[in-house]
Amino acid sequence: MAARGMVGKTWGDRIVLGAVIALAILWIVPIAWVLALSFKANSELMMSTSSVLHPPYTFKNYADVMATSGVFHWFVNSIVVSGTATFLTLALASLAGYGFSRTEFRGRDILFVFVLLGLAVPEQAVIIARHQLFTDWKLHNTYLALIMPGLSNAFGVFLMTQYFRSIPKDIDEAAMLDNASRFKIFWRVLLPLTIPAQATLGIFTFLLYWNDYLWPLISATRPEMFTLTVGIASTQTNFAQSEGLGFLMAQAIFAGLPVFIVYLFFQKYIVQAVAGAAVR
Amino acid sequence: MKVFRTLLLASAALIGGATLSFAADKTEISVSRFFGACEADYGKTTDVSKADGECGIITAMINKFNAESPDTHVKVDIVEWPGYDQLTARIRSGEPPTISVMHEAVISDYESRGLLEPLNDGLKAAGVDVSDFTGAAKEGVTKDGKIYALPFDTHTWLWHINLNLFKKAGLVDSSGNAILPKTADELLAQAKQFKEKTGKPYFVMVLANETAAYTRTFDTLLYQQDSDFFANPAKVNFNTPEAKTALTLLKTLYDNGDTTKNDDYAATVSGFAAGDGGVMINGTWLVGDYVAQSKKPDVALSNGYAVVPFPQLYKNPKVWADGHSWTILKANLSDAQKKSAFEFLAFLWNNDFQWARTGHLPTRKSVIDSDAFKSLPFRTALAPLAQNGTALPAGVKHQFGVQTIEGEEVAAAMRGDKSIDDALTSADDRVNKLLSQK
Repeated sequence: MAARGMVGKTWGDRIVLGAVIALAILWIVPIAWVLALSFKANSELMMSTSSVLHPPYTFKNYADVMATSGVFHWFVNSIVVSGTATFLTLALASLAGYGFSRTEFRGRDILFVFVLLGLAVPEQAVIIARHQLFTDWKLHNTYLALIMPGLSNAFGVFLMTQYFRSIPKDIDEAAMLDNASRFKIFWRVLLPLTIPAQATLGIFTFLLYWNDYLWPLISATRPEMFTLTVGIASTQTNFAQSEGLGFLMAQAIFAGLPVFIVYLFFQKYIVQAVAGAAVR
Repeated sequence: MKVFRTLLLASAALIGGATLSFAADKTEISVSRFFGACEADYGKTTDVSKADGECGIITAMINKFNAESPDTHVKVDIVEWPGYDQLTARIRSGEPPTISVMHEAVISDYESRGLLEPLNDGLKAAGVDVSDFTGAAKEGVTKDGKIYALPFDTHTWLWHINLNLFKKAGLVDSSGNAILPKTADELLAQAKQFKEKTGKPYFVMVLANETAAYTRTFDTLLYQQDSDFFANPAKVNFNTPEAKTALTLLKTLYDNGDTTKNDDYAATVSGFAAGDGGVMINGTWLVGDYVAQSKKPDVALSNGYAVVPFPQLYKNPKVWADGHSWTILKANLSDAQKKSAFEFLAFLWNNDFQWARTGHLPTRKSVIDSDAFKSLPFRTALAPLAQNGTALPAGVKHQFGVQTIEGEEVAAAMRGDKSIDDALTSADDRVNKLLSQK
């Protein structure tokens, strides 16, 4: 099949294909290594990680992950936080994007520049002030504290604004001729056209929240409010987990699985997003 | 079906009510700790003697306490090591744990901000005899005459030795014990002989993705030369002949190929077990694991493992040390919570021997002198470390930051990225800049 697929290809195509395959292998080897380690007993790995190349293999590391009492609670927390934040980010970014692209108001362009400036401010620069703010509001150890900070998503507003701008205004005008209200135009006509951008933004937002570590670490300090990243890290033993390498790898696979599934279902949009195809 | 559902609900209500009344009878305190989670293996263990490893033993200990205490229930909050970002955040947000595990090296930081309760009176009332503290433990938890933590262990720097390779190198005496160097020159000569006879480096050192190991070895070499590099706790001085001697030795070992290179922590742990070198410089916490490995057949350490304190190469036998301890955070605790907190600390104190099975050294003189402790593998040889273990002065702030800077500069000099003089000057400047911060 592969040979037939290459019929008619130039040498350049073949070199590119070879390079892509080589890069794919390079990328997948560490993942496969992690997966393989997760099926080995900790005591064996402490002797040598090369034992991964031969049996015996075990599911004990996964059983141990499941037996950690908080793990499903942390999983639910991560789902709630990532899911809600993704939904709200999409809603806010879409409304803001529509506003910046389709409405006229004084200071609009300056305001948009201010929003874009948000892209230049790293989270670490404001995290102490933000922690103080949430302390004053007594919101730490709540879902609200975990969800709120990322909602003012400058990238999301920028992406949606650019996407709305790429949609011809003739469509709005045609809808107006049919007596559609501004909200109806937004909701029924324009929003469905932004699905690719929504998907891109949704995936990025979900992954961002799912993988977030720093803010949950200092805001969700009660174990019952841990997200999966913080919770799983807390279960690691000291000294680089060198005495429990298999367990550590099983944790990594467990934590990465939902992201893998998201990728599996939405890979088309992710590829589009990475390639910049989502912004027309 | 309806009857069944009613019965089910009634049962649930009864069980729920019973649980609530059980919990309500006890005062709950929260204990924040690292050491990991191992509920799968020890979630229900209350016989501490049946647990192994740091995680297993502390889990079983707390299970036992909760099962036996009529008045107190400990709620455990497990954090990722070392957990200080989270602890600081909890304190700042007004929700500190009642008790937190803390390295003795950072007690000064928290105490100087007024965040820790002095424990002298409470420990006395709870029956903890502070005169039983070992020298290292007492020094680690005391500041200006006040005790700010219950010392739990002293952990320090050892030489884990592959005796099988030492035999091959001709470095064992007639009793089969490792012949240890007594000077830096002897060490270099041994390393040369070792490599010639075995084809392997003398040391398995943690040299990648890690700074703590560099610092611990470097500090040990300074302590052994009586270098008072922190004569003033607010200002370090690494521009000394002793520091230059220490760093020159480490760089020579590196340049001569007397150590494995590019190994991170985990790689050294498995590399030593696989026989990559003769000596691994690492902590007390690995003793139990390697003793277990030495009992297995057909592995590199089979019947060939020994562990000794970092040998005396200069004027005295001092070795870098730190310790785990338990602090009570300042909060508006009720009298009942305070009583419960000290009840728990006293319980930990009374189980110091069990914790010593991890490989860490006890903080009680009476435990060190006990037959039970002496009967543990290699503990008689390691016991002097409870006195020789040396930490930075309690007044030195930001000790974790200081250790990181030291480690980075020592690494740069060993690898040849900087000259020894430049590295020491840079370490001096950077540490003093850090110490000048509040």
